[in-house]
Amino acid sequence: MTAPEQRTTRRWLTELADGNRRWIQGTVLFGTLAGVATIGQMVLLALIVYRGLIEKTPVSHLTYLFLALIGAMAVRALFQGLQTRMATHASAQVRRAVRRQIHQHWQAAGPIVTGQESAGALAREWIDHVESLHGYFARFLPQMSLSVIIPLMILALVFWLDWLAAIFLLLSAPLIPLFMALVGMGAEKLNQQHFETISRLSGQFLDKVRGLTTLQLFGQTEPAAEIIEHRSDRYRKVTMKTLKVAFLSSAVLEFFSSVAIAVIAIYIGFGLLGYIEFGPADELTLFNGLLILLLAPEFFQPLRTLSQHYHDRAAALGASAEILARFQQFEQEAGTPPRAVEAKTDTTGTIELQDVTFRYADASADLLRGLSLTIPRGQAIALTGPSGGGKSTLLHLLAGFLTPSSGSIQVFGREPGSFSFGWLGQRGFLVQGTWADNLRLTSPDASDVAIETALKRVGLGDLVNGRPEGIDSPISEDGRGLSGGQARRLSLARIFVADYDLILLDEPTAGLDADSEIFVLESLHKLSEAGKTLIFSTHHHALLSLADRILAVNQGEVSDA
Amino acid sequence: MRDLTPWLRLILKRRGRLFIGALLILATLISGIALLAVSGWFITETALVGLLLAAGVKATIDLYVPGGAIRFFAVSRTVARYMERVYNHDTVLRLLTEIRTTLFRKLTGASRTGRSRLSGAQWLSRLTSDVDALDTLYLRLIAPAALALVVTGLVALLAWVLFDGTVAIAILLFGLLAFLIATAGVFFRTRDLAFRQSDQQEALRTAVVEHLEGFAELRAAGRLGRHGSWLLRQAHQMNVEQTRSETRVGWHQAASHLVLNLSAVFALWAGFHLHESAHLTGPVLVLLPIALLGLVEVYTMLPDAFGKLGGTLAAAARLNRDTTPANESGTDEAPLPSNGIAIEASGITVRHDDLPPLLTHFDLTVAEGQRLGIVGPSGSGKSSLADTLAGLLPPTQGRLASIPCAYLTQQTVLFEDTLRANLILGNPAASDAELWQVLELVSLGDRFAKEARQLDTWLGSTGSRLSGGEARRVALARVLLTPRSLVILDEPFTGVDSDTREQIIKRMDRWLAGKTVLSLAHGPDALPTTDRVMHLRY
Repeated sequence: MTAPEQRTTRRWLTELADGNRRWIQGTVLFGTLAGVATIGQMVLLALIVYRGLIEKTPVSHLTYLFLALIGAMAVRALFQGLQTRMATHASAQVRRAVRRQIHQHWQAAGPIVTGQESAGALAREWIDHVESLHGYFARFLPQMSLSVIIPLMILALVFWLDWLAAIFLLLSAPLIPLFMALVGMGAEKLNQQHFETISRLSGQFLDKVRGLTTLQLFGQTEPAAEIIEHRSDRYRKVTMKTLKVAFLSSAVLEFFSSVAIAVIAIYIGFGLLGYIEFGPADELTLFNGLLILLLAPEFFQPLRTLSQHYHDRAAALGASAEILARFQQFEQEAGTPPRAVEAKTDTTGTIELQDVTFRYADASADLLRGLSLTIPRGQAIALTGPSGGGKSTLLHLLAGFLTPSSGSIQVFGREPGSFSFGWLGQRGFLVQGTWADNLRLTSPDASDVAIETALKRVGLGDLVNGRPEGIDSPISEDGRGLSGGQARRLSLARIFVADYDLILLDEPTAGLDADSEIFVLESLHKLSEAGKTLIFSTHHHALLSLADRILAVNQGEVSDA
Repeated sequence: MRDLTPWLRLILKRRGRLFIGALLILATLISGIALLAVSGWFITETALVGLLLAAGVKATIDLYVPGGAIRFFAVSRTVARYMERVYNHDTVLRLLTEIRTTLFRKLTGASRTGRSRLSGAQWLSRLTSDVDALDTLYLRLIAPAALALVVTGLVALLAWVLFDGTVAIAILLFGLLAFLIATAGVFFRTRDLAFRQSDQQEALRTAVVEHLEGFAELRAAGRLGRHGSWLLRQAHQMNVEQTRSETRVGWHQAASHLVLNLSAVFALWAGFHLHESAHLTGPVLVLLPIALLGLVEVYTMLPDAFGKLGGTLAAAARLNRDTTPANESGTDEAPLPSNGIAIEASGITVRHDDLPPLLTHFDLTVAEGQRLGIVGPSGSGKSSLADTLAGLLPPTQGRLASIPCAYLTQQTVLFEDTLRANLILGNPAASDAELWQVLELVSLGDRFAKEARQLDTWLGSTGSRLSGGEARRVALARVLLTPRSLVILDEPFTGVDSDTREQIIKRMDRWLAGKTVLSLAHGPDALPTTDRVMHLRY
């Protein structure tokens, strides 16, 4: 997988935000309203102090101001709460949209392309990577807007109160974007370094835990523990060197905000004493002086919050890059989407391949060349030939998992894969749950009797009856599943329950134990007798003898064997 | 909470460091509050004096002390913040080392059956996130909560000195209420949701993996879309619960801020009453409410951290469970067989937990120096038998005696480390010459002689990548190095092509002269030289 450019990743994140604009805008709106309430709170506070101390209004006459102050605080709390509510909702919506997108890409790529990747890795992308987007949409993105809106509102108010104080604020944060870039650079480096160390340490630790049994066999657990300790300590020393520098950037932000508050306090103080004889200082009162002081920390607060959320951005960018790289990879490997093929003669009774050629996207030669074939309904066809000769590819084409590079395939008059059929891959599959759950996965309406019969047919009857609750007992107890052969027989039972017309099987007996092999052979025999169309790849002589017709697939050619 | 105890004890071992770190945070917080409070005092004082001066009254004001204090706190806030971050990050990284090594040592002594019950990759990824949850326990939870209480106490003390006892007690009560809302309140209202979260996520992960494994079958049956939608609904359900929990955290945060703000209003109101009865000067009256507004910053981090406490507790509980010490006593030291015999098993039963036994009434005697092969199809219980004979899986019945052995497990396990480090696990005393010799034996001598760093070649994902067959041979070489007279080899040649296998078998013959060798494989051609071969039936 090649990583996409950061610009592409950022654009994708922006598109996601646009798709859920209303919730994110709602978050910013409530954040802004909370900011307005904060300003209102400070105005009332300064006013109360001014009335009480300078105008000597008795406190009993200030009751309405006190009530207004309490009201402003309550409103602020309300808007803060609503802001979180909106933010988490926005993020949940985005995550749902992304999961749907990933799922669509999987579906478009089909079982062959997805099957080449580890299911664990794909599941990690679907779950953990998507979760990593949470902080970005819930916290960072709204805070980006808020860290511009709120300081500007405060600046405007301070400018109106005393333009010189506003200039002090402006000077201490010369240009907010510049400041943000400064914070960003530091925070980004810091996070990168920190995450790298942590993940490297976890890697080292996990590696040793994974091999714990091996270490115990060789009696080497204590030296391994010492290695973990030693390496962690070395990483710590290296990381701390970088962190000492990286923390300086946030210290700069802290420094400017502290100095701005100090300068403003001293300026206002001297102004109130009448020591400053230029500018607007002679218009200062305790009201506007105190208000400016109270607003100064609020001016910097949104920026400080943003710098705390910076790691959310780094996490989201990293996760998105991997998700997008997977999209690209799947799109490339899946090749061109299927195109409509004109229906020719009536082919509802046959499987028709006409001049089918197939080549993998990254291959230099055709795997199948100009293949034309007619298979009547109800036949059992065995595909044989050397491995890599194209047997599986032919099955995948008939299943609609792959589309031919040229030519057309009609299965009973329809597009391959456009209707339900039975598929038995080389690996059986089961889900956590009961036997019945597993069979109802593909046939939701199957009756208990049908399920029991199907399990009996594939020779799992005794195993199921041995369990206390029969088909309603869980398949895997204690986390142990079935053997490979048993799992494949379970898949075969699904095919029995569903009663498909067409059944495709990829090496149905390869690697099976003797017991399972007998049951699979018998099952296929029964299916064939029931008039099903069976197409399977195999080398097994017993299976070959079951076939009505044997086709040899080799070097792109298919011929009767 | 009991689940956290062993980890808290571990963290609190570094009392000195934690104390200094906490002091630095305290200095930061106090500097921040003091900067604003003193500034408020200064402005009010100058306003009042300014009025007097304007009215022509002779008044004096000390500008140096408050001016100096303001400058001092502005600098001390920055410096303390920087030092606090550097120092505490160092502490966190130290704790991280300690938690990992302790956990590793505990896992070493933990019951193996408990460990193997959990499927490998899933358990490991869970272990990682569980350990991560503990790493930040101090910096996110313990320090902020303790300091919030300390700072609240200090502000109440300030109120007592400057105002009076009643105001101080009221402020203390306001502070405690805010503290409870931000900590215990959040914890109790999110505990169950947070507790469920990681189980939900694991269940979802299993379902997604199953979906991908059954992709072709589901697609063929036309059920892919529905199963996919079901997964999407499950995931959304999980996120909705998360949203609920985070929204609760948000409301608690807003509520605790409100309570602190109200305490400032109260201080202002009480201050005016004291001022009217001439117990309090104007500037001092302003100081306390501003300090209380500054408290908000101290409480900001708490709700979020306590919202995650439920998850942290669940993580600690899982770690404690996984590290429960083994109660099977004396399994390490298998009884020695009679003289001249290497393995003596009579009537043993091999089974995993409560599952049906794989082998019952199994008898086996291997004389010293004998080469026995055991052949059986997959699923016949070969590897479990090998585990039993090697002492990894105690038999549930029967008697087993064997001399100490070197054991090549079916699974190839190499570490992300150098080739040398991987090999000398077998024999820490082995010389370079011996290492090269055994590498020659498994036909890897040329392969690594070509590498720039030779024996120090890094293996694993970040280093030189080995093919499956090469990795298998490194693992085999490591076992061959081990100075034990009994060698048990489970599928020694997985992924090794037949030519190479022939060569290795010949050289192994000489290398293992005089040793007892028990080898297991799916077919006779995958075995090294044997005197006799046993067949296991399924």
